[in-house]
Amino acid sequence: MPRENPLARVERELRVAPRHRLDLVNEVDADVLALQAELERRGYGPAEARRAAVARLVPGGRVIRQLEHRHRPLLGRRVPASGWMDRAVAVGAGAAAAFAGVVAVVATASPGGAGMTAAIRWLLVFVAALMAANLGRASARLWVQGDLRQEERQLLWARQAGLIVAAVAGGALGAAWEGYLVLGTSVGASGPALVPKSVAWEAIGSMAGVAAVGLAVAVFGLFGWLLVTPRLITDEECERRIDAFFARSRPRLTPDSPKAQSHAQ
Amino acid sequence: MQVTLSKRINELLVLAVLDQGPAHGYQIALAVEEQTGGSFSFQHGTLYPILHRLEADGRLRAEWHGTGRRRKTYEITGAGRAELAAGAAELEEQFRALLGLLRGCHAA
Repeated sequence: MPRENPLARVERELRVAPRHRLDLVNEVDADVLALQAELERRGYGPAEARRAAVARLVPGGRVIRQLEHRHRPLLGRRVPASGWMDRAVAVGAGAAAAFAGVVAVVATASPGGAGMTAAIRWLLVFVAALMAANLGRASARLWVQGDLRQEERQLLWARQAGLIVAAVAGGALGAAWEGYLVLGTSVGASGPALVPKSVAWEAIGSMAGVAAVGLAVAVFGLFGWLLVTPRLITDEECERRIDAFFARSRPRLTPDSPKAQSHAQ
Repeated sequence: MQVTLSKRINELLVLAVLDQGPAHGYQIALAVEEQTGGSFSFQHGTLYPILHRLEADGRLRAEWHGTGRRRKTYEITGAGRAELAAGAAELEEQFRALLGLLRGCHAA
């Protein structure tokens, strides 16, 4: 089995923005190859030269931490790296969820159909709080830590998309309930043909109100994510180049594999 | 800025090598090792945080060359030269004091 490129470990462990990771692997790789060639000129065997070059130039754990500190965003260098931002986001989301849940339960349990409307409105507030927490987490990763890896990026986007759908669905559900509440009572009492114009307008107004809240929450979630999208596109492009780098350099950077041995000879 | 002595020496070693002309990272590492007779060497990539710090502080200038396999070349700046001169004088004074003390102890 071919050995892993030593720079792959560095790239994996280095928690900084992809453009810094890309620059570092390019710089170290070029230096390692040049040093290896230089040592071979001085009489080292290929594998020995490779080992010596890697030992000198490929960053170890302590150096990776130093590079992390150096290339972390300005904000990230000023705050302690103890995960307080993650905890703050988690506590904020938890508090918002608990508050919205209590309000929803109280509103649903209250007499009359208006309780359900209030519950749906609070559900939308809860969805907005979760969207803000999700965006907060993505922003903290990008602009405090500097590194939002693909797996987490996909998870956060899936969550945000789910919340956007939940906001639209909540708005639609609330509008339908409002319509049922206003028109249902009137139709039940006097028949569909005799619904007064004022009641119809009242129903439309109530439905539009709840639907607008749902739509506003969805737009907040969508545009909030759009704000981080340019940075995500840049990061993805750099990650593609990092992947291409490792795909390209795999055979060359495994001196002990049969393919590289034959190449060296 | 308070820096440890070893950190300061490492920075000055890099600046001293680059004062002789622009170089790639591996050339700096080799030159330091050769020109100090092996007394100083950079292992496990310790060179890179130093280079990046000096670059961020404006004491070095870095440039990427090439299109396919890009290579980074470092060059000392005016601020770097001033830092090198001041640092060398400061170190000389500190080591003279240190040696004076050590020799005094040895003599006594």
